[in-house]
Amino acid sequence: MREGAQAVAKLVITLAVMVFFLFPVYWLVTTAFKPGSDWFRWPPMIIPQALTLDNFTGGGSGIYGGGGGTTAIENIVPYLRNSVVVALGTALISTFVAALAGYAISRFKIGGMPFVSWIISVRMLPPIAAALPLYVTFRLLHLLDTWWALILVHLTFTTPFAVWVLISFFNEIPRELDEAAFVDGATPFATFWRVVLPLSAPGLAAMMTLSFVQSWGEFLLALILTSTARAQTLPIYLGRYITGFRVAWGPLAAAGLVTMLPVVVFSLLMQRYLLRGLTFGAVKG
Amino acid sequence: MILPLVALLVGLSAYPFVYMLYMSAHTYNLAQWTPPRYVGTANFVQMARDSTMRASLVFTGLMAGIALPVELLLGLGLALLLRGVVGERVWRSLLLLPMMIPAVVAGIAWKMLYNFEFGPVNYALSKFGLERISWLGDFTAARIGLIIIDIWQWTPFVFLVLYAGLQNVPRDLVESATVDGAGGWAVTRFIELPFLAPLIWVVLIVRLIDILKLFDIVYMTTFGGPGSATHPLSFYIYKVGVSFGWDVGYGSALSMLLLAVITLLTNVLIRILHIDRLLELERA
Amino acid sequence: MGPTKRRWLTVVTGLVALLLAAPLRPAWTQAPVTLNVWASPDNADALADIGQRFTQANPTIKITVTPISWEVLYPRMLADIASRTGAFDVATWDVMTAGAMAPGFVDLAKFREDNPRLVDPAYDLKDFHPTIWHIGGVWAGKNIGIPFYNNTMLFYYRKDHFANPTLQAKFKTQYGRDLKPPTTWQETVDVAKFFTKKFNPDSPTDYGIALMFPRTHTLFYMYVLFFAPYRRSQDGLKKFGPVDLDYGDYFTAKKEPAFATPEGVKAVEDMKALLPYSPDPLGADYGETLESFARGTVAMVPQWTGVWAAFREAAALKPIEQKVGVALMPGGHSVSGIWGLGINVASKHKPEAFRFLQFATNKANDKAKFIKFGVAPARMSTLKDPEARRLDPRVPVLEATYPTQGYRPRIPQEPKLEDITVGVLSEMLGGKRPITVAELAKLADEWAKLLK
Repeated sequence: MREGAQAVAKLVITLAVMVFFLFPVYWLVTTAFKPGSDWFRWPPMIIPQALTLDNFTGGGSGIYGGGGGTTAIENIVPYLRNSVVVALGTALISTFVAALAGYAISRFKIGGMPFVSWIISVRMLPPIAAALPLYVTFRLLHLLDTWWALILVHLTFTTPFAVWVLISFFNEIPRELDEAAFVDGATPFATFWRVVLPLSAPGLAAMMTLSFVQSWGEFLLALILTSTARAQTLPIYLGRYITGFRVAWGPLAAAGLVTMLPVVVFSLLMQRYLLRGLTFGAVKG
Repeated sequence: MILPLVALLVGLSAYPFVYMLYMSAHTYNLAQWTPPRYVGTANFVQMARDSTMRASLVFTGLMAGIALPVELLLGLGLALLLRGVVGERVWRSLLLLPMMIPAVVAGIAWKMLYNFEFGPVNYALSKFGLERISWLGDFTAARIGLIIIDIWQWTPFVFLVLYAGLQNVPRDLVESATVDGAGGWAVTRFIELPFLAPLIWVVLIVRLIDILKLFDIVYMTTFGGPGSATHPLSFYIYKVGVSFGWDVGYGSALSMLLLAVITLLTNVLIRILHIDRLLELERA
Repeated sequence: MGPTKRRWLTVVTGLVALLLAAPLRPAWTQAPVTLNVWASPDNADALADIGQRFTQANPTIKITVTPISWEVLYPRMLADIASRTGAFDVATWDVMTAGAMAPGFVDLAKFREDNPRLVDPAYDLKDFHPTIWHIGGVWAGKNIGIPFYNNTMLFYYRKDHFANPTLQAKFKTQYGRDLKPPTTWQETVDVAKFFTKKFNPDSPTDYGIALMFPRTHTLFYMYVLFFAPYRRSQDGLKKFGPVDLDYGDYFTAKKEPAFATPEGVKAVEDMKALLPYSPDPLGADYGETLESFARGTVAMVPQWTGVWAAFREAAALKPIEQKVGVALMPGGHSVSGIWGLGINVASKHKPEAFRFLQFATNKANDKAKFIKFGVAPARMSTLKDPEARRLDPRVPVLEATYPTQGYRPRIPQEPKLEDITVGVLSEMLGGKRPITVAELAKLADEWAKLLK
């Protein structure tokens, strides 16, 4: 009896907490499907009455009252492509580089704590401080407004964290396994590739997911280093909806939904690994 | 095997760092169309008298002092609460949403929620007979408003890590404690919490660094206002260094300050918390 | 393969290659060129539309328009012109960034002289109002652009409420004068109070006036609306001298700050007096004030020209001819927000860019972009055009506004002046700082440091 009451109480609290965490998401999603007259109302339209796809198609009268050509959602495609390439590229490269380094640090203690501290300190460098020097450098290398510019700078803040987590992860893998491989004549790299990597898959997947999420949402550097549909990512694309004389809330929400959907789907798919991978290997039985 | 990492980090962070160090001793402003001019410590002297910068430090301190502890407690509470609740897996997945949503998109959502005349937040208040609140235009409310957004977005991260940690608490430890007559709370207090402690510290450091770099949400909602009430240091650096004409010299000096604060805080934390032991880089 | 065969093969291959490279075109025409145009979002659709028509007439020149939000456009362009990257060929620049942008833009007067062949004889430079031409096109004697979007602020009010006999009678008994669009900010206070439900339960609207005094650059030009009436009054002109078109209304003719004076204080007090009758003035920006008026919850709003398109669509404001009136700004002085269109000095396609620029700002397109997209006209011929006047009640008001409107500084330090000023004004309006000459003098000191 008491346990039943407890379970109900727990569920009630959970639901209340969920309202706080989910309502903003709900509001964004529903606004994306509301016609212009319902974006703002008093009382607010909690449950949408009429649903429309106009915010996605740029249909109806458009944002500027004159058939909003430059802001129709069909234009989102190149930006979506850029975001996918940049975030995937960052996630893959960052995980690979971090795994190599993490393994070396974990097994051979290369550099020790000072080196690890230095890696972490890189993550602390405020991206704003790096913006102009990077702009100048990338101009010399002809990398401005390219995917590589973004992948490279995103790597600097995703990789250090991944190294940190993966060190603990590799620490957990019994040394006997690599030693056995060594005895069989494998090189350190082969041992890493064939023995250690498969065993640390959850950690790698978790780091890939987090790197993906971070790169996907990065705003400041993408703003400065890219300028056209060739390389601009979705968060930058969203900015164009906030115009001088009108905030187009519906299309903005629609574009926001398109922006968040891939990353949400990706991370929900990876959730299992996130749960296992994010314990940093710090908790041991 | 560490070569790719070293190359990457040196190439992309060492150079900006040196550039920043160099520029912090110069006057250099793209809008003025003059080459950098050496000014010694003038930028740092100016900083000492800069009231906007002081306001930035206050607000950044407020975020770290209020939002961060709330996130830790709430995240821990949620991790404990969600275990065994009906629909655990569904809630767990849904709870991840806020942290996965790009900050720019989250800012848009909250701007709509906080709308003074038509926003659902003020509507909810009116249901309790309360006056509308200017969430983005009142000096106190705007600060609270931003703290709420940060809590909303990052509590799920704390939750996720601690929840995952709880899954790893060895069953036999819990069972033997229960056999010895320990109640639910005692198990949490004396077995699970100590077990989670290292994770809590790691999360604390990661979140602290990110709070010190807070930018996107402010950019999308209050733009630092009213006055300088919600002006985090990173946002101020953005305005000085980029938005208002690339004042690279003073922006670099401000960045040096931010970097110093972050480095100091995290190194203290790393020392206190013995991260080196956690990473097994030195013997405990 | 014999030598003859090989020769034949070479000839055929060469011919095919030639045909592929220049299908049915004489060899001397240029290869296809793509012009990158950066535009503020307000202008993007109009420029894209003009670009399409330009490409129809000039198939070898393609136009790609990228809208970039205001906040970002300025630093992005500055970084690009300072490093001579040439990421854009043509761009719209905001009036107050003229000084900072000038070194990065082509001097069009010189370009016209050097390339007389490219100049359109029907272009008519005299069709621009001289002041507008200067503000939106000239910096330090250099013609850095053509006025494209002649944006200014207008005062929109609810025509239907102002014409309501019951409300008119009540207003008359209460204030002893007629209910009509206010002509001074002091009058506006009464009218705004009258239309605020908290103070007048009969008011059809919740609030009197929607104001935007947020922490963004908005507050900087909103202050000009309140300060210009003092700055440009008889006494003001005597005290401060005529307005310098580079330094704007914030300065005296001697290029010193003019606001750290009793007049400057009065302007802030006029702003503060309106706060109780406005929904969320310190938290609202364009989007929010526009929404308030479009939903019918306020009776008046000072806003830019472009909002008309949004009002026209708003259900609460239909039919717009009966519900929305357009008036001169109370106090008699608006503030300009002109956008010029110019060519990047680092552009590799200057002749093509010049031809596009000329096309985009010619008489026909000035009118077309106004009628189709509501982009405020830069040419007098559009203001005089009977069709434009018939279609849009804003035209006569625009005509009266342009010669009297106030200006922000256009000097390179403007963005910085703007930021520190907005911080101080915001604190004054929020009650965190006294509204006194002494406090404004502190701000003026900060200005002096930046201007050194």
